[in-house]
Amino acid sequence: MRAGSNRLPAPAGLLVDRERPVSFAWEGARYWGLAGDTLASALAANGEWILSRSFKYHRPRGVLTMAGQDANTLVQLKGEPNVPADRLPISEDLEAWGQNYSGSLKRDRNAVLARLSRFMPVGFYYRAFYRPRGIWQAFWEPIVRRSTGLGKVDRATPHGHFDKAYGFCDLAVIGGGPAGLSTALAAAGAGAEVLLVEENPVLGGSLAYARFDAEGTLAAARREALVAEVEADPKIEVMTGAVCNGWFADNWLPVIRGNRLTKVRAKEVVLATGSIEQPAIFRNNDLPGVMQGSAAQRLIRLYGVRPGRRAVVLAGDDDGYGVALDLAEAGVEVAAVVDPRPEPAPSALTEAVAGQGIEVLAGHCVAEALAGPGNRHVRGAFVSRLDGQGGAVPGGSSIACDLLCMSTGYMPTYQLALQAGAKLGCDDAGAHFSITGLPDHLRLAGSVAGATDLEAALAEGRRAGLRAAKALGLKAGSEPEVPADKGQAGANHPWPIFPHARGKDFVDFDEDLQVKDIVNAVADGYCEIELVKRFSTVGMGPSQGRHSALATARLVARATGRSVAETGVTAARPPFTGEKLGVLAGRGFEPERLTAMHHRHLEQGAQMMTAGLWWRPAYYGTKDRREDCIREEVLAVRRNVAMIDVSTLGGLEVRGPDAAEFLNRVYTFAYAKQPLGRSRYVLMTNDAGTVIDDGVACRFRDGHFYVTATTGGVDRVYRTMLWWNAQWRLDVDIANVTAATAGVNIAGPNARAVLAPLVEGADLSAEAFPYMGLREASVAGIPARLLRVGFVGELGYEVHVPASFGEALWDRLLEAGKPHGMTPFGVEAQRVLRLEKGHIIIGQDSDAMTTPDEVDMAWAIAKKKPFFVGGRSIELRRRHPSKRKLVGFTLEGADAPLPQESNLVLRNGEMVGFVTSVTRSPTLETVIGLAYTAADEAEEGAPLRIKLTSGRMVEGRVVPPHFYDPDNQRQEM
Amino acid sequence: MKIMPCPLNGPRNISEFACSGEVAEMPEPNRTGDEDWADFIWMSNNTAGVVREWWCHVPTNYWFIAERDTVTDEILKTYPAGKVFTARRDFQGRDEGP
Amino acid sequence: MPWGLLKYGLGRRYPAGPDFPARPEFKPRYDVVIIGGGGHGLATAYYLAKDWGITNVCVLEKGYLAGGNTGRNTAVIRSNYITPESVRFYKESVDLFNDLSGELGYNILYSQRGQLTLAHSDATIRTFRMRAEVGKLVGTRIEMVDRRQIREIVPCLDMDENARQPILAGLWHRDGATGRHDAVAWGYAARAAEYGVELHQRTEVTGLEVERGRIAAVETNRGRVRGGHVIQAVAGMSSVVAAMAGIRLPIRSYPLQAMVTQPVKPFLDPLVSSSGLHTYVSQSSRGELVIGGGSDPYELYSTRSTLELKESLIAHTLELFPFLANLRLMRQWAGITDMTPDYSPIMGESPVRNYWLDAGWGTWGFKATPVSGKRMAETIAREKAPEILHPFRLDRFKTFDLANEMGATAASH
Repeated sequence: MRAGSNRLPAPAGLLVDRERPVSFAWEGARYWGLAGDTLASALAANGEWILSRSFKYHRPRGVLTMAGQDANTLVQLKGEPNVPADRLPISEDLEAWGQNYSGSLKRDRNAVLARLSRFMPVGFYYRAFYRPRGIWQAFWEPIVRRSTGLGKVDRATPHGHFDKAYGFCDLAVIGGGPAGLSTALAAAGAGAEVLLVEENPVLGGSLAYARFDAEGTLAAARREALVAEVEADPKIEVMTGAVCNGWFADNWLPVIRGNRLTKVRAKEVVLATGSIEQPAIFRNNDLPGVMQGSAAQRLIRLYGVRPGRRAVVLAGDDDGYGVALDLAEAGVEVAAVVDPRPEPAPSALTEAVAGQGIEVLAGHCVAEALAGPGNRHVRGAFVSRLDGQGGAVPGGSSIACDLLCMSTGYMPTYQLALQAGAKLGCDDAGAHFSITGLPDHLRLAGSVAGATDLEAALAEGRRAGLRAAKALGLKAGSEPEVPADKGQAGANHPWPIFPHARGKDFVDFDEDLQVKDIVNAVADGYCEIELVKRFSTVGMGPSQGRHSALATARLVARATGRSVAETGVTAARPPFTGEKLGVLAGRGFEPERLTAMHHRHLEQGAQMMTAGLWWRPAYYGTKDRREDCIREEVLAVRRNVAMIDVSTLGGLEVRGPDAAEFLNRVYTFAYAKQPLGRSRYVLMTNDAGTVIDDGVACRFRDGHFYVTATTGGVDRVYRTMLWWNAQWRLDVDIANVTAATAGVNIAGPNARAVLAPLVEGADLSAEAFPYMGLREASVAGIPARLLRVGFVGELGYEVHVPASFGEALWDRLLEAGKPHGMTPFGVEAQRVLRLEKGHIIIGQDSDAMTTPDEVDMAWAIAKKKPFFVGGRSIELRRRHPSKRKLVGFTLEGADAPLPQESNLVLRNGEMVGFVTSVTRSPTLETVIGLAYTAADEAEEGAPLRIKLTSGRMVEGRVVPPHFYDPDNQRQEM
Repeated sequence: MKIMPCPLNGPRNISEFACSGEVAEMPEPNRTGDEDWADFIWMSNNTAGVVREWWCHVPTNYWFIAERDTVTDEILKTYPAGKVFTARRDFQGRDEGP
Repeated sequence: MPWGLLKYGLGRRYPAGPDFPARPEFKPRYDVVIIGGGGHGLATAYYLAKDWGITNVCVLEKGYLAGGNTGRNTAVIRSNYITPESVRFYKESVDLFNDLSGELGYNILYSQRGQLTLAHSDATIRTFRMRAEVGKLVGTRIEMVDRRQIREIVPCLDMDENARQPILAGLWHRDGATGRHDAVAWGYAARAAEYGVELHQRTEVTGLEVERGRIAAVETNRGRVRGGHVIQAVAGMSSVVAAMAGIRLPIRSYPLQAMVTQPVKPFLDPLVSSSGLHTYVSQSSRGELVIGGGSDPYELYSTRSTLELKESLIAHTLELFPFLANLRLMRQWAGITDMTPDYSPIMGESPVRNYWLDAGWGTWGFKATPVSGKRMAETIAREKAPEILHPFRLDRFKTFDLANEMGATAASH
């Protein structure tokens, strides 16, 4: 039969399409399923129940929840580990494998580890494996590392396509079960724009699989009606197959569907997230074939799969009786209903079960699930009577079965609420839960809020929807009454825990932790719930405590003589379920900034480098000729003329009556008396007196300065200026025009010759336009500002134009320079040129504590100003002079080694400084550099002992840093 | 993602903003001793509670003041800097001597 | 097979006594009161007892042992800092870590697998070279490595030269290691308790009574405690507690987030860190990938997680390891880091004569657990901070003599 031998006839199988069989591969063999099957349901239909091997003991595991809530079903796909099989749809190209086994999934050689479990008490690895010294890392850890972990990552995995979207709504309803549906309808009815997010492929929640009445028809009817209403409502947007994976501040919700992350901002949120059925604890409760009652119901109703042939139902609540009825209807022989309650309250469901002649053993428990060969499937239930305190009385009887359903209670799906800051409370017995302390604009509805009765859940949903609508300012109708009895009583058994002397009574399936592990952790002294978690690792696996938190709290409470409420559960953290890293990363947009001349650089063969977000030309030429290219560019500037794109340098317009006063306060120098048409150096210190940026201030008018800043510093300088003036309230306006301006620096003895013919409106002669002067003129017809500044130490002009003219300016200048053989030069050459002049680069020759005094810039500190940022601190620091000083140094000799930046300067084996900039100067043909050295050994001629990277020591000499043209004749031509 | 209600731009995602620390009035530099000055530069209240802070909306470079609870992360109010810094500030010079 | 486990397995009786005794009632007076039951406080208690014979000590912990930053960090141990003073200090810690399991009789799962830090810019290469040179000078195992060597150390790293921020070079620190952070605290706690140190969990300090320049008493939610000396080791709350003694600190507290993926079979041995991408990654012995990055951008006393930080941190992680796109994230959390202006701690004397500071641990605290415990114990016993702590004195800010370590963490600010 192509659908699988366990397939039930229609109408069972809401999600599957019997007309469309699909084949897929599992563990190397091919199987048939139906479109709409998940891997787990299709395999179950084919009688394949083993899906994985557990973390530590390598026990066979299979379906537990059929809802993606557990980690027993994690399988390996090509390029993707840890995929929940009960959420993975089958397809023709699906190839899935088990994980974490040696040999085969059905016969894992590592299962022998389970026999050693007696030697591995909780926290055993803390007690041993560390003597002799180093043995853990050398021997034991590699073994542990190899045996832990579940699936495998594959280095060859191609990066799939992931993307992100934004969503906005008035109300986000998380969960499309009865409460969620009714919330959405109520709010939309009042006019709200509603987003309804549902994890499963279809709406309905428990209405799609559970049984609420003896006849078993109520759920489907209700579901059909509600879903039809929702689908017809234009104000409700439905996302199925979508998980809201967390709650973040101000109702910011990550909704993940496939490989897309939609970030939703909702004005109001209602969590109708339902409850998670909890396993009962008894020996071998982890065998394939032992599953939640709701898992069996999902198999039957959603996938049309008969979950077994002969069943025992452990029913500690009314729902378990519904499960028994569903099983019987599906043709499963229900051998017994085992109810730990001595006197189960009669209800329609209990009576229907009795009416079917199904044996009910009240006051009994399952003491042990009997295992078939290799623990591969359950073969029976060993049932014992319970004593007055809820413990199993020794002795009992076996009931043969191949299906054991657990239906002993639920935990509200509290995770999102607790992430939002709410608190989980419960009564002493730990059987009734409450969530309190929700922030504004966040509400609950349904079983997550304790309303397990269907009518109560629907009423609560309606009420929450109306309240949300009211909070949105909409006109909403009167709220319905929510019945006082929401169904809490009897929904959860307070102690479905039946420890066994021989163990394997699992509290945490992910971590293979048994009852005694939790009890022993407490006995070891780890009494706080968080310590129990960290010591035993309970709740630290992929299920993140969904099925272990409650049982752990109950066991720890009992062991420490406290109530469950006092003991608490460990903190709920996002994400709610595992989320792919690719979904979080998305497509990866990285901004970058290009100058107006960018394409010219590429065309001219530049090797580009990043400067923050900008791309700049490092040098022009091929990589194998890097050093030669840089050398040639340096010499071109020194001997002829060359030009560099300086568009990235910061440009700030500072205008207003207080412009000069403002500059006086943010820079160290004095600007009040700066003449018009002149530039002046600007040095910025922070309020601790540390050098942070520099440039020049060009005064065009009394109240108008154009100030430059470093490429990397301008954004911060600008923001800082605005911050200061927000406090000083000076009459000044500051604008950051860096992106609006393109600039070229044309430098070299022939610079004037190249530029002058292009200039109209300014006389470029030395007398008319001296060094540090500035002019507004037109260059090749382009309106420009011309600055004569001296960073590289040759006659030079910076030409600043509006950015849209940048490329044209570049072209015209190159053309004009052709007769002189003018070429472009890049950042690397510029760094050499400035070093030959002894100019510092802030951030390279200075660090987070450098003062102007340390770098010989005391001259840039105006003495008469009452205040500038950093002034007071500089004054203070002068009373505790620095122990280091930045000096120039040389290493003489043609064969002098070239130190590297950051090589240490030593004295008597101690570090007293380090090299900050160094080069073998093409112009001077000797090694020059800047370095910090001891302040008391910084005078000219002092030795500078450098430890090369190789370890060898060399000795240089301290010299003034003005290596090239110390009298500045070349730049002042 | 928290929402920051910018006085100029309205409510925006907090990732659009930069915080610059507690609003503090700079003491008169030339009338403050070294120890008090070092204190002003380095020490912080680092209050667990409501703090008045400087915030900047980075895309528009707009600085403003927010009152925020540093324990609950609740933003209580935001307003232009001019509400606190109401007049032009000038600094006193060093004492000229006798 | 370790004998203890063998005996247990064959005998069926659980090992003798608990690691920590139950919380006792307060004594009228202690020689030392330690505020803060995290790694630093517990280590201090241990060394007071072991090195100095001072056992009349109590540790006051507001929550559960090591529930603060000790239980929330990404467990990296290293000494590849920038200044010689810092490197010397952290090296002492690494040396203590090397046999800490043996000393404490508690396996801290110490694994020295090496840390590789990646440079994506020339400026970073300069800083790396400084760290390598200083490290070599002080005697740690550290060197710069090129792209070819990086490929050998971490073969699965993405070395695409056309990436937006390609890897240019690396800093390879063989001393880099990880340890089980909780176990470090539990080991110190268990051994300290054996010496007679009292551990008081769920005991919150609510005030400090200062009289004539000394702490006269410590107020708690369980009553008053007197101590000859009092030390605070309360990362995440340093300013709040110091304020109780009337002390202001140069600290600002920011959340620092971290996260962990589901466990997979081993594929990454060393620790990998990128300054430019503000990301560091390691694979735990359980198989999970532990990922951390930069601090949150504004001050907050909360351990909440955010989506935006997770998005950018994971995007950067995938730039280093693109093949991990289908690996699933399992959990995110945060600690509260006390950031100082120079990224160095504050240790030693305070303005109050018998009140000692162990604060300002930012993102560099866990790795210093042994050395801070040992040296703070020495400070208290001798009533004077030793030379090695001199760069970290609170007074350094008075003279602007900062111990500048900015640039030595990927968790940059």
